[in-house]
Amino acid sequence: MRSPHPEQWRQRNQQKKAAGRRLLTLTASNRHTLTAHWLDPQDGSVHAESLSHAGTFPSLTPVLPEVAWDEREIHDLFGDVPEDHPDLRPLVRTPRWPQAFHPLARSQTSPPNWHDVEPDNPAKLVAGEGITVMKVGPTHAGVIESGHFVFSLIGENVLHLDLHLFQNHRGIEALLEQRPVAAVAPLVTRICAADTVSHQTNWALAIEAMAGYQSAEELRWRRVILLEAERVLSHLNDLAQIPAGVGFQVAQQRALAMKETWQRGLKALFGHRLLFDTVGPGWAQKPSIDGIFILIDNLRQAFKPWRALVQSHHGFMDRMHAVGVVRQASAERLGAEGVAARAAGTSFDARTTMPLYQGLSIVPVVQRGGDVQARFLVRLDELEASLRIIEESATRLRRSPTADPPWVLPHDLTGHVVTYTESPHGLNVHDVEIQAGRTARYHVRPATYRNWPLLAHAVAGNAVADFPLINKSFELCYSCTDR
Amino acid sequence: MLGIAQIVAVLMVVAVSPLLWGITQTVKARLQGRHGPRLGQMYWVIAKTWTKETTVPEYSSWIFRLAPSIGLAAILLAALTIPVGGRVPAGWPHNLLTLFFLLALERFWVGLAGLDSAGTFGGLGASRVSTLGTGVEPALLAACGILWQVSGHTEIAPVASWFATRPLGALPWTLAAVSMGFVLLAEMGRLPVDNPDTHLELTMMHEATVLEYDGRLLALSQVAMTLKFSVVIVLGWVLLGPNLPSIWANLAIRAVEVVLTSVALGWIESRFSKIRYFQIPAYLSLAAGLGVLAFYLIAGG
Repeated sequence: MRSPHPEQWRQRNQQKKAAGRRLLTLTASNRHTLTAHWLDPQDGSVHAESLSHAGTFPSLTPVLPEVAWDEREIHDLFGDVPEDHPDLRPLVRTPRWPQAFHPLARSQTSPPNWHDVEPDNPAKLVAGEGITVMKVGPTHAGVIESGHFVFSLIGENVLHLDLHLFQNHRGIEALLEQRPVAAVAPLVTRICAADTVSHQTNWALAIEAMAGYQSAEELRWRRVILLEAERVLSHLNDLAQIPAGVGFQVAQQRALAMKETWQRGLKALFGHRLLFDTVGPGWAQKPSIDGIFILIDNLRQAFKPWRALVQSHHGFMDRMHAVGVVRQASAERLGAEGVAARAAGTSFDARTTMPLYQGLSIVPVVQRGGDVQARFLVRLDELEASLRIIEESATRLRRSPTADPPWVLPHDLTGHVVTYTESPHGLNVHDVEIQAGRTARYHVRPATYRNWPLLAHAVAGNAVADFPLINKSFELCYSCTDR
Repeated sequence: MLGIAQIVAVLMVVAVSPLLWGITQTVKARLQGRHGPRLGQMYWVIAKTWTKETTVPEYSSWIFRLAPSIGLAAILLAALTIPVGGRVPAGWPHNLLTLFFLLALERFWVGLAGLDSAGTFGGLGASRVSTLGTGVEPALLAACGILWQVSGHTEIAPVASWFATRPLGALPWTLAAVSMGFVLLAEMGRLPVDNPDTHLELTMMHEATVLEYDGRLLALSQVAMTLKFSVVIVLGWVLLGPNLPSIWANLAIRAVEVVLTSVALGWIESRFSKIRYFQIPAYLSLAAGLGVLAFYLIAGG
């Protein structure tokens, strides 16, 4: 592959963005290559831009701020240097890592000798008179994942928020390398509990695309049901957590009760409360169709009065208004995904271009406010839409022929595919490269990856007491991001 | 006889305050569809905390260790000044200003201890508690002035009997009660101003100031917190409730009133969400406005 001139690398990617395409992944390899995959939201086609370099490459961040974290991560994991990157502080790396340790670089063979120091990375602060620096986490008071937040405050107002995630970096991408294809699914399932079906589906779609497997109609509907059931679960959780942020405990507890009912239903229908190990190459769990309709009816009976309760609660609705505002321009500049993007006026939902959803009418739920209230309302409508999609898919599933074509996973697959799904948190992308039945490179670009910097952007200028509310309205996944 | 009755009454307030707290928590739990802990859970919580090891932050001073005792002492003294049965023996201090200043003293030391804990949230909590105090204290002082204007007293017992002997009419009484309720909710650190049940450090007010405490020092703070809760409720009813000639009848009425109020608080906390921090001045101004209206209606009528 002939590599473009460094300036062309920037220009070409910038042109893709200007043409309204969405960046799926920016993937590095240990052969000093970079590949950017762009999705055309009109026709669902994927276009790639590649660059070969000699250890340093021109940073895209000055022209595409959304890849700031991708490039920092590449710098930490591969040791490749993005030139002119405005902020090359460690992202994944901690001071415990030896200087030359780059876990995904080719030279790495055995675990290094970790330094025995405090794992405290330099934070970006605001300096000046009257400014307080407040550090929160990584351990929190509630049942929350690990994240370290450094606030620069002036009085009650947040001037700047610096996020230090990757506290529980498990090295999943390194673990997946050189793994036989048959042993990948258990790890991919466990990348995260909130978007697990989406991760599993991405893996299944990647292998099926490489093998040229044509999935049966019936399998497609089963996967749609699983993906939507996961969205309902995730949205129920988020809808419960937002009232908790303002002490509206009745709404929180009732929503948690609905979530529990739903999870018990999932356990009965699919064998797992969080839907682990329900989708794989060539298969997906078979639910009882009657059970699905009963579960949906039960949820609707509780959801309708709950929705009426929260939407008629003036204090609660007012509390969410104009807090944590994301403007559409910021959302697009920073590559916002999912609910956060749609609540800011961006009409993009990857389900509209996914072949899996063909034949179903998917209308992206869009709000213009960009505030906590808008994100809350988007979830309310999306949850109801998901229930309708499940019903429609279940009806079609009932009419489809029941026989799965028998399929054995080939052991000598080779190929390179980028797959994506619309997870509850947004566009979730896997970049999978297989050589002779083993993974050569597996890059996961989770849905929340670009929304974390957006959260920091949305919090600045708000009262620090509103941070939990804003945070819960994004309800971003740590596990996916840390990997 | 009066002295014994007063001491017994105050001891009763002290003894039942964790129970009142428990009633409110149970009502909240039931309205949320939960069973919730048993009614007397707070007694067990305090007993458990008392037996735990007491540690203090490395950078804190004597202020941190002394503040819970001073806070509890201030609330206990405040409780002693309330004529729970409607009457106190001659020479017994029961001035409304004394009571308010004792409550302010407690707030001052809680805030100081929050700062002295040398933690991030302690400072944040101290700042918020003190800011809230700058709104609550003028409102209470204004109420005190109004009461003095209309009744000619600042001692609680004569004010209470003055209220009890005047047919106020439903409107001024309701306005006064709502106004006082708003201010006292803020004073107690309950919704919609502060949420005592949250685990979200960044939103905390009072809880943030005691976040670094454990063991006996925390137990003292918990006793002070529950006692303040019941002192404030009792004070409200002593001022606005009925006042019969018999002390024991008054005590019985108070008992019914405080239980009903604890239930009502649980209901209120389930109906409201927390207002924005920056809206608290507006909330307190509303309370003050209603109080002024009540004053004009009472003084004019």
